[in-house]
Amino acid sequence: MWNPYDELSAKERRLYGLVSVGTVLLIWSVLTFGSFVRPTKLPSIVQVFEGFTYLAWNEATETSPLFLAVKSSVLRVLVASVLVVSIGVPIGVFMGASPKINAVLSPLLDPLRSAPVVAILPILVMWMGIGELMKITFLFIGAVVFLIPMVRDAMLAVSQQYWIAARDLGATEWEAVRHAVLPMAMPRIADAIVVAVSVMWTYITVAEYVNAETGLGQIITHARRQSAMNQVFVAIGVIIGLALLTYVTMMAIKRKIYPWESE
Amino acid sequence: MGVGVVTDPSNEPTADFLDVELKDIVQEYPKPEGDGVHRVLDGINLSFGEPTINMLLGPSGCGKSTLLRMLGGVRPIGVKAPTSGEVIIGGQPCDGPHDESVMVFQRYANRPDLTIRENIAFPFRLSLWKGRVPPAEREKRVDAMLKAVGLEGKGGLRPSQLSGGQNQRVALARALVLRPRILLMDEPFGALDAQTREEMQHLLIDLWKAQRCLVVFVTHDVTEALLLGDRVIVLSTSPADVVDDFPIEEPRPRSDAWLMSTPVVAMKERVLDRLHQAKTGQKGQVRVSF
Ligand SMILES: Nc1ncnc2c1ncn2[C@@H]1O[C@H](COP(=O)(O)OP(=O)(O)O)[C@@H](O)[C@H]1O
Ligand SMILES: [Mg+2]
Repeated sequence: MWNPYDELSAKERRLYGLVSVGTVLLIWSVLTFGSFVRPTKLPSIVQVFEGFTYLAWNEATETSPLFLAVKSSVLRVLVASVLVVSIGVPIGVFMGASPKINAVLSPLLDPLRSAPVVAILPILVMWMGIGELMKITFLFIGAVVFLIPMVRDAMLAVSQQYWIAARDLGATEWEAVRHAVLPMAMPRIADAIVVAVSVMWTYITVAEYVNAETGLGQIITHARRQSAMNQVFVAIGVIIGLALLTYVTMMAIKRKIYPWESE
Repeated sequence: MGVGVVTDPSNEPTADFLDVELKDIVQEYPKPEGDGVHRVLDGINLSFGEPTINMLLGPSGCGKSTLLRMLGGVRPIGVKAPTSGEVIIGGQPCDGPHDESVMVFQRYANRPDLTIRENIAFPFRLSLWKGRVPPAEREKRVDAMLKAVGLEGKGGLRPSQLSGGQNQRVALARALVLRPRILLMDEPFGALDAQTREEMQHLLIDLWKAQRCLVVFVTHDVTEALLLGDRVIVLSTSPADVVDDFPIEEPRPRSDAWLMSTPVVAMKERVLDRLHQAKTGQKGQVRVSF
């Protein structure tokens, strides 16, 4: 029981997982089918499924509201991800490559990591209005404050011997960073990117809270106003699913690109 | 940081030899406690006038690595180096890493994401060597090095697929592919098991015969020093001073029988004695002859 290095077989792991998920489903079913709680507080599995079919296809407009919501949320996360990676990674790399740059930037960036990002939203609304720019910026800030310090730490985690060895072969200081430290830091930088993009999925509902015409956050806001708790559950489930998909896909890509990491 | 002396790249690297001279080298490091300095090298005078294999022997922590880093020009050691004294290479004072010198360590620092071939060709990614060695020549040299270090056919593998000894071969090839005139080795075989170390010692001799250059090889193993060196330099404990400096004329590879012969055993004992005295602080310039 208390052996952290014990390896469970895949079968055993699956069994324990099924037991825990099954227990939660059972309690949920008892509470809802037994009418212990009202559906506006906690919908039953059946009601959530009804919510799903309702959102999946709208007969009147012949469109899928859920698909459209997923599309615009994914698009926002995608745009913000490209910005976060293309701006955050270089900044983190430079900070990790030069203690001077780190000393200049870290007093500005490090406090932001513990700043309540959600509280920044009203400020962004005042500065940028309620359009896409504000939403993307919000996602960007929320993720980049995580990404930059992680990228910097990935650089610092590379053993100095690689830098020294490159210098001793005639590399300039920058070349030693570029050709020895950076390539060694890449797997951890990739991990940082995965975390940063995953964080965005937790902020998407907040980003889409204000005046969204589309998006999973909009579905949640709209459904809550109508007390359609089952639709809220559907949207949350879809967000979790998308976040998981993003994570698994990105990790698989990472392992494919950097197979040597664990060696 | 100063720039080393740049030699004419049109010179055939192994064709002419660069003599290296250290004059009154003193090196001090600030004490970790903060006050004062710790003198590691105390006025070292050494000169190397031929492309030979020179063994630098001394107790652990005496300043061998510090000294070695000055022999190919002056490589950064974290503080101003040398504190005083002069490094003269090819007749010119040198205050930065010399372009004709490369260094090999115990930690081979091969890049795990590159193949063996790419690791050996690694220096050619650097601007210094890009300009000097044309692309066609690089491929030829890498092929030759793969063969020379006995890794022919393994060029496509990655460092994790090789043993420690083979990885050290890659590091050696990565240095020699540059045809340096000065090869500095800092306990390069220290982490290898006895049998692999012996193989590497033989390999080094073969490589050196094919591509003669000045080798300065740091070790704390007396037997290794006697097996490899044209010359053995013994340092005292810090502040380090040269307490012994003698040639060995026996041709290489040197046999076990030679190593066991009475004069060599006596020589070994004297060196050990010298090292022991050096450790306990007694100093004197006693020459061991045989
Ligand atoms: N960068 C440094 N800063 C302060 N002290 C150092 C530094 N490098 C080495 N030393 C000290 O100088 C002494 C000699 O070090 P080194 O040249 O590495 O010895 P060796 O290679 O013979 O073991 C040691 O006592 C070591 O602690
Ligand atoms: Mg050392």
